[in-house]
Amino acid sequence: MADNSTYHSWLNEKRSHAWSVYQSTPTPTTKSEEWRYTDLAKLFPLEQITLEMGLVDSTQRPNREDLIEATNTAGRIQLTDGLVTNIQVDPAVDSQGVGLDSIQNTTHEKYQEIIRTNLCSHVLPPESGKFQALNAALWKDGVVIYVPKNVHVKMPIRGKHTLSTGNSAVCARTLIIAEEGSHVSYVEEFHSDDFSNKSMVSSSVEVVAHRNASVDFVSVQNLGRGIFFQVAQKSLVHRDACVNTLNVNLGSSLSRLDLNTRLLEPGANSKMLGLYFGDKDQHFDHNTSQDHLAPHTRSDLLYKGALDGNSRAAFRGIIRVHSGAQQSDAYQTNRTLLLSEQARADSLPNLEIEADDVKCSHGSTVGQLDPETIFYLLSRGFSRQQAERLIVLGFLGDVMTKLPHGAFRRVVKNVTDAVEQKLRHG
Amino acid sequence: MSNAPALDIRGLSAKVADEEISILKSLDLALNPGEIHAIMGPNGSGKSTLAKVLAGHPSYQVTGGEALYLGQSLLDMEPDERALAGIFMAFQYPVEIPGVSIANFLRTALQARLGRGEELDLFDFQDQLLEAMKLLEVEPSFAERPVNDGFSGGEKKRNEILQMAVLKPSLAILDETDSGLDIDALQVVSNGVNTLHKENPEMTILLITHYQRLLDYIKPDFVHVMVDGKIVRTGGPELALELEKQGYVNWKPSS
Ligand SMILES: Nc1ncnc2c1ncn2[C@@H]1O[C@H](COP(=O)(O)OP(=O)(O)OP(=O)(O)O)[C@@H](O)[C@H]1O
Ligand SMILES: [Mg+2]
Repeated sequence: MADNSTYHSWLNEKRSHAWSVYQSTPTPTTKSEEWRYTDLAKLFPLEQITLEMGLVDSTQRPNREDLIEATNTAGRIQLTDGLVTNIQVDPAVDSQGVGLDSIQNTTHEKYQEIIRTNLCSHVLPPESGKFQALNAALWKDGVVIYVPKNVHVKMPIRGKHTLSTGNSAVCARTLIIAEEGSHVSYVEEFHSDDFSNKSMVSSSVEVVAHRNASVDFVSVQNLGRGIFFQVAQKSLVHRDACVNTLNVNLGSSLSRLDLNTRLLEPGANSKMLGLYFGDKDQHFDHNTSQDHLAPHTRSDLLYKGALDGNSRAAFRGIIRVHSGAQQSDAYQTNRTLLLSEQARADSLPNLEIEADDVKCSHGSTVGQLDPETIFYLLSRGFSRQQAERLIVLGFLGDVMTKLPHGAFRRVVKNVTDAVEQKLRHG
Repeated sequence: MSNAPALDIRGLSAKVADEEISILKSLDLALNPGEIHAIMGPNGSGKSTLAKVLAGHPSYQVTGGEALYLGQSLLDMEPDERALAGIFMAFQYPVEIPGVSIANFLRTALQARLGRGEELDLFDFQDQLLEAMKLLEVEPSFAERPVNDGFSGGEKKRNEILQMAVLKPSLAILDETDSGLDIDALQVVSNGVNTLHKENPEMTILLITHYQRLLDYIKPDFVHVMVDGKIVRTGGPELALELEKQGYVNWKPSS
């Protein structure tokens, strides 16, 4: 049993430091290049919510039990208002030394050590930005996933975040460490009711894939309206390792995602997939970066979305091939389908290349439903609504077919159902 | 109703919807149930426009005349209503639908033909689809490909007839289905159409083509020549041979 009081005071020191960073960091405005499409002062004035740093000591230990049901799941973890409440792990996975635990309340010495080495430091330090600092100061709990050397966790681990009330800032952290030659996939979902008062949900995700490890990370956001969903995700990919991410944005009123993958050593590769469907007055802002820091690295980004009503999406993506990162392949594509006259999409793909022997491409399109395609479907007996639904699902579904494993069948089904739901009400 | 022509077009005129470009100019054409008709005519004479007007394409506006399908006026019907009533058009240029597999597309199209609350029997559907794929000599994996996405010209045309085989229309309008097919594919596709016609002798077919070659495989009862938006001559299969030799010089509009 680890000494929890030193562990907790270490965590609190990190929080206090992050809080001072937060206070000294100005709130981003549209004057900054990275925030030009999202006017926080108008969409979500931070002054309107109460943000207070509080030190956290032992909170309630989550329930922990064996996962007995024969599900296609290696483990499950549930968070309510940012606190881990339940953990279930497949005993077979547990016995391989795979860790799935609460960051705040783990009593496991190994995981505490992993957290001390990695949390809020070399991956996503509070200095990364205003919201990264805010999350690092205000988080009360989060998920740590640790996969020992050469262990392959076949089925995905699932995380579920829910909110009990609005009017709060809920900050959660996720830390995934995959040791050499290991494999894990984690699927997290965010759900809540609609809230009339402004609430914020903040998620900071740190992923480290050591040599030859592979991590698949899927996040599905279907929060209620009234919520500002703020995400910072950063992945460090070592030699021959692979980190694939899929971020699905369906809910909330405003969402801002800052996603960065760093390919640190030769052979590192990453697929970054994204999918969004906006309606009414939803506003989604994606800010992505692909950093190639070593030769023979590969990244492939594909973000696709559909926008209905008055919704709006912005995409700002950058590929940075640093000097010396020869023979790297880097791709970036953003496509948006506008379903209404009022919807709007801005897309700004970017390249910064300091090596001369690389393959890079970037592109973006914003288009409407093609009337010839609609007519083709009508001429086969589809109703206009069915035709639009099929085209939109086909357009978006393309992203999900790029998920590397069949293990995500349930995610694909859930996302498809959720998109269909929105199409019906749109 | 039973002796009504499958398609009865009287004095049909049509123009481009938002421009003053007349294309169909008082066109007359009648097809009895079960007959096979071919329309030939120079580029730009309005053959595809006729097909699209019959299918209800919104780019064209009917400015006069009538089109009756089994005695029922077509022109007020929505495109999807016409399809559900049994009209099928194979497109000269089929569109691509990324991310939608042929199987999913056809399943949804058949489901749309059922009433509310009725569920398509998936086993029956599988059988139907397999049978159609066998008829068109395509691999079973064909059905998993997204509709026309990345297809060769010939594959697109095969896919049109595959759809026809599954949807089983009572009036099929095939717009240059033979263009872009190599000789083997032409035989397969023609054989497919002939088999469907044999299975359902009541099915009426309107072939639009530039090539007499197609009519060696699919024997038409009548051949029509269309020039400048109207039918200028009607005859038997021998008319196609004559056209092949002489071209359309004799029918160029006198202007
Ligand atoms: N939407 C449109 N807008 C403007 N002009 C059009 C439109 N559709 C057709 N036309 C014109 O009408 C005429 C008839 O076109 P159509 O496609 O029906 O000819 P076609 O007989 O099918 O020719 P082809 O043998 O080359 O396929 C052409 O001159 C064409 O350019
Ligand atoms: Mg044509």
